Order: sequence, then structure tokens, then C-alpha cells
Amino acid sequence: MSTTSFSAKSVELFQNPLNIYMGNKKLLLMVDNTNSVGILRRGTVVYYVGSAIFAAGIALLAAGVAFAMIQRIHYGSEPWEILLFFIFTGVGGTLILAGINMMMKQTRYGYYIIAASVFVSFFALLIFARNYSNNWYYPLVSYVIALYTAGFLLLVGNAFANVILWMISGKPEAVGLRGEEIKTYNDEEIERDIEEATRKSIELSASELKFRNLDVEGVKFGKAFRETRGDTIRIKDNMEEAKSLEEAIKPGGKIKSGSVEVDKISMQLGEAMRKGAVEKGRFETFKAVVTGKIRSLVRLTQLKK
Amino acid sequence: MAKGLDIGTMNIICSERENEDVVFTRQRNAFLELESSDLTKTMLDSAKVLYIEKDGVINVLGEDAFKFATIFGKESRRPMKHGIISPKEKDAIPMIKLIVERVLGEPGHRNEVLCISSPADPIDMDMNTLYHKKMTEALARRMAYETHVIDEGLAVIYSELSDYNFTGLGISIGAGLTNVTLAYLATPVMSFSIGRGGDWIDEQVSITTGLPKEHVCAIKERGFKLNFEVEFGSPDGALSIYYDALVTYIIKNLNRKLAEITPPKVEFPVALAGGSSQPNGFLKTFERKLRDAKLQIDISNVKQAKDPLYSVARGCLIAARTQEGGDVEEGKTEVSKK
Repeated sequence: MSTTSFSAKSVELFQNPLNIYMGNKKLLLMVDNTNSVGILRRGTVVYYVGSAIFAAGIALLAAGVAFAMIQRIHYGSEPWEILLFFIFTGVGGTLILAGINMMMKQTRYGYYIIAASVFVSFFALLIFARNYSNNWYYPLVSYVIALYTAGFLLLVGNAFANVILWMISGKPEAVGLRGEEIKTYNDEEIERDIEEATRKSIELSASELKFRNLDVEGVKFGKAFRETRGDTIRIKDNMEEAKSLEEAIKPGGKIKSGSVEVDKISMQLGEAMRKGAVEKGRFETFKAVVTGKIRSLVRLTQLKK
Repeated sequence: MAKGLDIGTMNIICSERENEDVVFTRQRNAFLELESSDLTKTMLDSAKVLYIEKDGVINVLGEDAFKFATIFGKESRRPMKHGIISPKEKDAIPMIKLIVERVLGEPGHRNEVLCISSPADPIDMDMNTLYHKKMTEALARRMAYETHVIDEGLAVIYSELSDYNFTGLGISIGAGLTNVTLAYLATPVMSFSIGRGGDWIDEQVSITTGLPKEHVCAIKERGFKLNFEVEFGSPDGALSIYYDALVTYIIKNLNRKLAEITPPKVEFPVALAGGSSQPNGFLKTFERKLRDAKLQIDISNVKQAKDPLYSVARGCLIAARTQEGGDVEEGKTEVSKK
């Protein structure tokens, strides 16, 4: 990858850090700055780790619920059954929230908050596991519930704060852009783009030139100079090719376009469609998850009331 | 009316339509300096030789410059070299201007469409054709022509490959350069030139046989036949050897360039044109070597232009007429809209 090519775009990079164009190609770079979008940080690896954690959480929660249903757990069930159910659902719930948080862009201290929240929740679950059921008495129960709830609420609060920040920034690409869309260009492609751009600009600039007439003063022409234009031959030719060529170039008023242009437009269209699909897909998934979680929280609150 | 103009290293050829005919006007792109005297001028005038006189020097232009060079054993001066305006010839542009003005003539009306052929950038030489292109365009524009420039190889395709929907490989083997264009449905996919042509053959034969270049050129143009049974030490033998070397070189470079692109999966016909493709046996040799080379594209057939020397000028005229037709159509549309 040519570094000089990037330095040429430094001004644009400064002004618009997320959209960098090279020729007709758009390079998506992850850069940091201090505006509302820049405060939010993200990383490709973190995103995928977050997704995995989220999936693991879902699996654990589902396993816990399934376990409860299979074992028909109630207040009089065996302690190990109750313990296992709470460990599965407790860990699952924490992991789900931690995963969601990691999949989102984070504020400067976002990852510390996630780590602290997970630690607090897991610590609460550990205390619960070690003390249930033999030493499971108040006020220890209150401490454990408070610890777990604190961790849980921290994760929910952090996610909520990030969603609000993201909404304020109003840029859908903030969540959608990930490392997989970073394209690299080899020297040959960059050189070709530069060469083409240079050639076009030179030809355009040269077409504006006006030449002064050549000095022909003092030139005397021979007698034959005005009499003949040169050796002439005459061939019978109806030149049907002119019509065929016109038809080939502009059939039904079609716009003339070279293969380079066709390639470019196809590539741009393909990229736009792919990028749109990726962004839409991720945005929709994220939106569904957040909406679902908010709805379930609201429902739970209403039920408790 | 529209005109086509082929500004070649050896010839400048204008093509235009007159009733049912196409008229080609040709002039050698060369000049020869002679000392001026009243006697010389009288002789030149009586022989109807094309010349100009400036600062006590006579410059014989065109075909006669070649003839005088052979007679006086001098070397004619050439305003162009390797397909472009010669950087080593100080009088190149004024001489080209004079010859172009004579060959082209006045436009039938202001902004008459004129299509000029131009070489593509060579792949085996450090040379750029932009300056030449802009200069020739400017010369014609000053004569009140509406000028358009097309690649020489594309002009061959326009002239010779209409039966194939202007799809194929157009090769113009001129004096200074060999121009190649691959087109698909009249759209150029690839255009380049190779820095060898008829002049290279003349030079090599001149070096090896000791004959003047003009003399070698005259032998070549006087019905030379490309075959491989020749006398020892004869110019024909040397010409055959260097023609064979030129064909091999062209095909080698063509194959190299084709490897860089992904052409459409169709069979491409090949059209050969240009003054240096005229000798008998050239087509046969070229086709044989082309088939042996196993190119990156499929070749359907190889054909030679009906008039190899005039093919580029004819292609330019076709392009000019098409351009003119397009303008007329656009004009009609504008009028009808109003």
C-alpha cells in the first residue's frame, strides 16, 4: 500500500475522517477525533467478541429457562437445582447485556464500565453460589441482590447512554462501519487511478490552449503551390460504415461509454448495494435487539406493578 | 460535408466525399532544403514542384522532396519521427502546417467536421503523444475546422470491420509506429502503439546493405514481395528479414499487452492496414505468426485493408461523418423542441 497516496488525501481525511475517496473508490477508515461521533470508540475485534458473548449469554439464559421447565423448579425444589437455575440465568443475563454493550460504540470509559459491571455481577453470583443454601440469610441476601442489580443496572445504563449518544450523532454508519469493509489497494491500482486522473486533467487543460498563428512573413510560394493539393485518387465508395457506426455507437440514443466507465459504474453500484445491505442489516439487527430489550423491561415493570 | 485526415510519419492523407466517390489527397510528409537561385526556381516552377522560399533557402515539399533527395544523394528532412512531431527537427511544425494546409484545403463551411488520426502512447518507448495530438488538433482548428481526434487503430476498425459490428483488432503498421486497438462494439478496450514500423525496416536495411534510406524505401514501395527465397546480399533479402523481425516484434508486444486485460469472450477479427503492410505476402506471414503465437484472445480471421495506405484516412472520414450525423440529429432535436 502506497503511503504517499494517503498523504495526498490528508486534508480530506482531516475534514471527513470516515469517508476517504481515492479515484472513484471509497476507503473506509477508522479514525478518532473529538466530535460527538469521535467520542464513540469502536474496534472490529471487540465487536466480534461482543457478538460471541451476546450469543453465549442467550444460550445460557435459554439453557437456564429450559432447565427450570424440565426440572419444574419451584420454591421447594432441590437446592442444587435452584442454584444451577440462578447461575445459568444470572450469568446469561449479564453476558447478554455485556455483549450488547461491546457491540456498540463506547464512550471513553465505556469498556471500564462494562468490565466493572460484569465483575460486580459475577462476584454477586459467586457469593450466592458459595452461600446457597446453607448460609443464605439476611442481610447477605440483600447484599448479593444489591451487588447483582448494581452490575445489571450499570450495563443497562451504559447501553442506554450509548444509544442516546448515537441518536444525537444521527449517523447510521456509526454502528454499521466495521473493519470488514476496509479495502486495500495495491500500487498498480493506485497508479492506474492516478494516471487516469492525470491524463484526463492534462487533456482537459490542453484543450483550453489557444495557439498564435505561425510567422509566415517573408515566405514566397512556388507557382505549383497554389495549383495542386497533392496526389489524388478517387474511389467509388458509398461509405455505408458511417451509418453502421452511428447505429453501433448510439443505438436508440444510447449514451456512449467506454469499458472503463462501465467497469467503474458497475463496481460503484456493487459497492453501494453491498454497503447498503450490510449497514441496513446491522442497523436492523441492533435496533430489534434494543427495542426488544426495552419492551421486555417495560413489560416486566408493568407486571411487577 | 466532413473530412478525415491521417497525419502519418511518411504521408499526410486527406479523405473527403464527393458525390458517390471518396477522394484521397496524399502528400509526402517530408521536405528538402536547396540553395535558392533564379535558375533553380525557374526549373522548379516549370516542373510544377511544390516549394517555398524563405531567407534565400528553397524548401521542396512533399513527394518531390523524396525524388530530389534520391537524385542529389541527399537525405530528405522529416517533420515527424516515430509517429509524432520530431523534436529534433526545428522546422517541423511550420512544414507540417504547410503540408496539412495544402492537403486539407479550405473547409467547405465554417466548423466543418474533421477527424484526425493520432497515435497511441507506445509501450516500448519513453514517449508521450499528447503534444503531437494537441498540435495537430490546433493546426486544423485554426483553419476553421471542428476537429476530433481518434486513435489510428480505431480508425482501421471503423474502416475495415463494419461487418463485425466494429469489434476486432485494428492494426496500422505505419512508417514511424505500429498502432493497435482492440475494440468491442466500436468501443476501444485497449489502445497502444509499438515504436517500430516501416522506417525501422528502412534504417536496418540501410545499415546492413549500405543503401540510402530513400532508396530502400523506394524498393519497398515498388512492389516488394515478402518471401523467403532471396538472393544473397540483395536488398530484398534484408527487407524480408527485417519484415519478419517486425512482425514477430509486433505480435510479441501484442500478446504481452493482451495479458494485462480481460477482453470479452468473443472471437476477434484482425484488420491490417498502413503503408508498411502493403507488400505481397505480408498478410500470410502475419497470419501464420499470429496463429502460432496463441494469443490471449480468440482470432476469427485476419484480413488486409482494401487500400492499406488509405484505410486510416477512410476510418477518420467515417468517424467524421458519424460525428457530423450526430450533430445534425442533435440540431434537429433542438429545433423540434423549440
